[in-house]
Amino acid sequence: MSGSSEPLAIDVRGIRRVYKVKPKPVVALDGVDLAVEPGEFFGLLGPNGAGKTTLIKILTTLLLPSEGEARIFGFDVQRQTRQIRRIMNMVAGGEQSGYGILTVREQLWMFSQFYGLPSRDGWNRVDELIDAVGLDEQRQQRVSTLSTGQRQKMNFARGLLNDPWIFFLDEPTLGLDVSAARSVRELVLAWKAAVPGRTILLTTHYMAEADELCDRIAIVDHGRILALGTPDELKRRVQRESVFRIELDRLEGGVGALRRLRGVVSATLAAGDQADGQAERQTVEVNLALVDDAALGEVVGALGGLGAQILALRKFEPSLEDVFVELVGRGFDDEPAHTGDEPRSDPDDREPLAPQTETTDSREREEEVVA
Amino acid sequence: MTATEHEGLGSPRWGGFDPARTRGRGWIDLRRTFAVATRLGWQMEANWTDPILFFIYSVAKPLASALILVVMLDVISGGAKPEYRAFVVVGSALWAFVLSGVSGLAWTILDDRERYRMLKYVYVSPSEFLAVLLGRGVARIGVGAVGAAITLVVGVVILGVPFDPARIDWPLLVPVLALGLAAVLAIGLMLASICLQTRQESWSYPEAAAGALFLVSGVVFPLAVLPGPVQALSLVTPMTWWVEGVRRALFPGGITAVGGPGALFTQLTGLAGPTPAQIVGALLVTGAVATLAAVVAFRTSDRRAKDRGLLDQTTGS
Amino acid sequence: MSAGRPAVPGRNAFVYRPTASPQAAAQWTRRQVVMTNLRTVAGRAYPRVTGLFREKSWVFFEILLPFLSTSAFVFVYRALQAPPQYIGFVVLGGAMTAFWLNVIWMMAQQLWWEKSQGNLELYFAAPMNIMAVLFGMAFGGFVMSSTRATAVLIISTAIYGVTFSIDQWALLIGVFFLTLAALYGLGMLLASLFLMWGREAWHLTQLLVEPVYFVSGLNFPIARLGVLGSVAISILPLAVGLDAMRQLAFAGAAYPIGTPSPLIEAAILVVMVVVFLVLSRWALAMLERLARKEGRLSVRWQ
Repeated sequence: MSGSSEPLAIDVRGIRRVYKVKPKPVVALDGVDLAVEPGEFFGLLGPNGAGKTTLIKILTTLLLPSEGEARIFGFDVQRQTRQIRRIMNMVAGGEQSGYGILTVREQLWMFSQFYGLPSRDGWNRVDELIDAVGLDEQRQQRVSTLSTGQRQKMNFARGLLNDPWIFFLDEPTLGLDVSAARSVRELVLAWKAAVPGRTILLTTHYMAEADELCDRIAIVDHGRILALGTPDELKRRVQRESVFRIELDRLEGGVGALRRLRGVVSATLAAGDQADGQAERQTVEVNLALVDDAALGEVVGALGGLGAQILALRKFEPSLEDVFVELVGRGFDDEPAHTGDEPRSDPDDREPLAPQTETTDSREREEEVVA
Repeated sequence: MTATEHEGLGSPRWGGFDPARTRGRGWIDLRRTFAVATRLGWQMEANWTDPILFFIYSVAKPLASALILVVMLDVISGGAKPEYRAFVVVGSALWAFVLSGVSGLAWTILDDRERYRMLKYVYVSPSEFLAVLLGRGVARIGVGAVGAAITLVVGVVILGVPFDPARIDWPLLVPVLALGLAAVLAIGLMLASICLQTRQESWSYPEAAAGALFLVSGVVFPLAVLPGPVQALSLVTPMTWWVEGVRRALFPGGITAVGGPGALFTQLTGLAGPTPAQIVGALLVTGAVATLAAVVAFRTSDRRAKDRGLLDQTTGS
Repeated sequence: MSAGRPAVPGRNAFVYRPTASPQAAAQWTRRQVVMTNLRTVAGRAYPRVTGLFREKSWVFFEILLPFLSTSAFVFVYRALQAPPQYIGFVVLGGAMTAFWLNVIWMMAQQLWWEKSQGNLELYFAAPMNIMAVLFGMAFGGFVMSSTRATAVLIISTAIYGVTFSIDQWALLIGVFFLTLAALYGLGMLLASLFLMWGREAWHLTQLLVEPVYFVSGLNFPIARLGVLGSVAISILPLAVGLDAMRQLAFAGAAYPIGTPSPLIEAAILVVMVVVFLVLSRWALAMLERLARKEGRLSVRWQ
């Protein structure tokens, strides 16, 4: 339960889900605990086959857990399905549902009736949402003729018909182009911002999406939550220091001079600056790890004192995939996706967690500093 | 390598692309496509072949159709006309075969487009789509043939249909079966062409079409009962000649559906019934026309489907 | 239906009917529940009815061709020089076929079909009762079926000179609607069973065509089937309804005895309606739970 008297938006305790498939049962969820407060934008991030969709299906009352319990705003997903269905909605990515013979408007109206909207209200609401999601030109177009992005916008509009208190998004930008995906993300944020207390659970394997949208993220793999926190908290697990790469015109005294500066945790020459047989370089690139961003100012000042001119400055931030690698010892794409029909590896066979080190594979964020 | 192959796609730099790949291998590819499609069709049908479902398709359905007619006959004649019983049982059994063939191709289109969403992938593969369709249809015909055979056996063993294996007219049976198969596939192809244009609910169209053919093909009553213009239509329908030929070949001396008092055939030719040569000839001609019509219908439908983007649509209400 | 209006200026489309809390939003009154289910019936019928006007091939395949199929059996009786009322039996049977086919093709396996299309999950995630969805499908399909049945009846009657002799109109109409109610109730029961049987549902539907025609006496008086006919009358709405309608529509014609009177058969239909509806409600609930337990609400290539 949350600290206040309000029940949690999502309260999951010890959820386990086993699929009885051949050749051997698949454990899709293996003892998941989760607590999402009302008003949160919560993300489940993990590779294909991690158990994200299974969890969302349990929370949307489409699937029963094998063990454990879950509640949505205090309502039990196993026994109070009707109440939950009245206050939630869901949109999945790659949906091909719908009746091709109907127009967008008709399709949405039909669903409005399933949620109990009076007929005329339903048409009005549908028109409103069609405009809001940017499908006004496709209003009278048959569903079978929509593009993928348009269809997903229609699905999104369907998800908002009943003004849900909790919105489940299962990989909503799957298969969409950059522009369409951005549209969907903007719509999601605009919807959430319209009324405080609206809760969203998003599952995705796109790190940038989770990073951008979510207040908190749970990283899942093989049916377990490996880590949980805000994006910044998760990234700090991998890299507590602030890492920069500085390009200098020269460096008197070598990197040793930098190591002695206050706030510098470590300083190493960038890999390209080792002898590599190429033509003489006029600049020096250094990887600097500082205790925090605030130490950068002092370092820059000290460099000036050393007579070095800063030509470029870039900050390295770990990505959520770095966090995942740190936790599991492999990347999202480094292992074939486990589907419901494939036997999973024994959890005890998994590689041990890698020690925290600086990583040169981190996603770079360029911040040019002109001295 | 030739001078040309040193440059462009044929060069080693590009991996040595072989232009012959775009030419295909003609009949070899066609034969292989057909064989693979037939095997696929059989595997899909055989996927459900456990005893209960085998019973449905091969026993319950065709037998029920035959029994409906047997009871209708007995209601009126009280069992006094055994030759009519043989007539309707044989016709009904053969019709199970026709129905499976006619619906097989159409359902292949609908299955692949609506259920498996594979139609577009099959279509864009280098395999000739027509060959794929026919191969899949042949598999369903195999299932229908089993049903027809079982119904005939039940008719002979239980319902008293007189049968003497020694009297089978093989010179008539073999060509009629071969030509009839082609005609069934042609009709199935015409229906498949229609289903390519229609939406999901057209699952029932093949059975509706088969029901209509049932009326004009002399399956369960002599054509003499029909009005003159309808009889004329019957005489140009390949199924009429196929049913007549198989019935005559398996059960020589039985009632003819085509000839007889009041029949248009008898009025035109003066004969009580068609000779084996006339049956084969008529089947050949009507089958050829049906095949030609089917190919034209299919090509037209194919072009229209591409034009309107129907190959990967999913419909439904 | 209006062409659609653009958004009202100043109105936030993302705010519809705010409620005080999710708990308040989750508690519906009985009226809300009933109205939602009624609206669902209308909503789900809508694509069926709309589809009839947007794709018109069904006029040929669902009217003309069934008429020809019925005609085949008419000619069988003509070839046998049967009494004229037998032509009427076949015509009436041919008309009722439309409703039976609607039940098995458009209802019984429809949930399985919806699962293939990805709609089933959305239905179960919504707050209405799934029976309302099935009612909507039935009602939408009824429009096509009744058109087909009426066309077959009228055309066949006109062409083949069928003469009806009806003494009890009210009972005949009542029996007709009771038959439909029982048929659609059975359709709902089959829909829930087929949801669990998966792909076999397609094949099992085939079992319900000719074999049911046979045991229902579609083309002949069911009394001729003896014990089998009696069994059929007690479990198949098509069998009992058709027999009752024949007795009422051709009153005074020679009719094989051996089946109950139309009034008793009407009572049987009432019982069937209640039993099928109760059973289907129970079966849908039970099978939903089973489907949720085994994860069958999503497509898993079953």
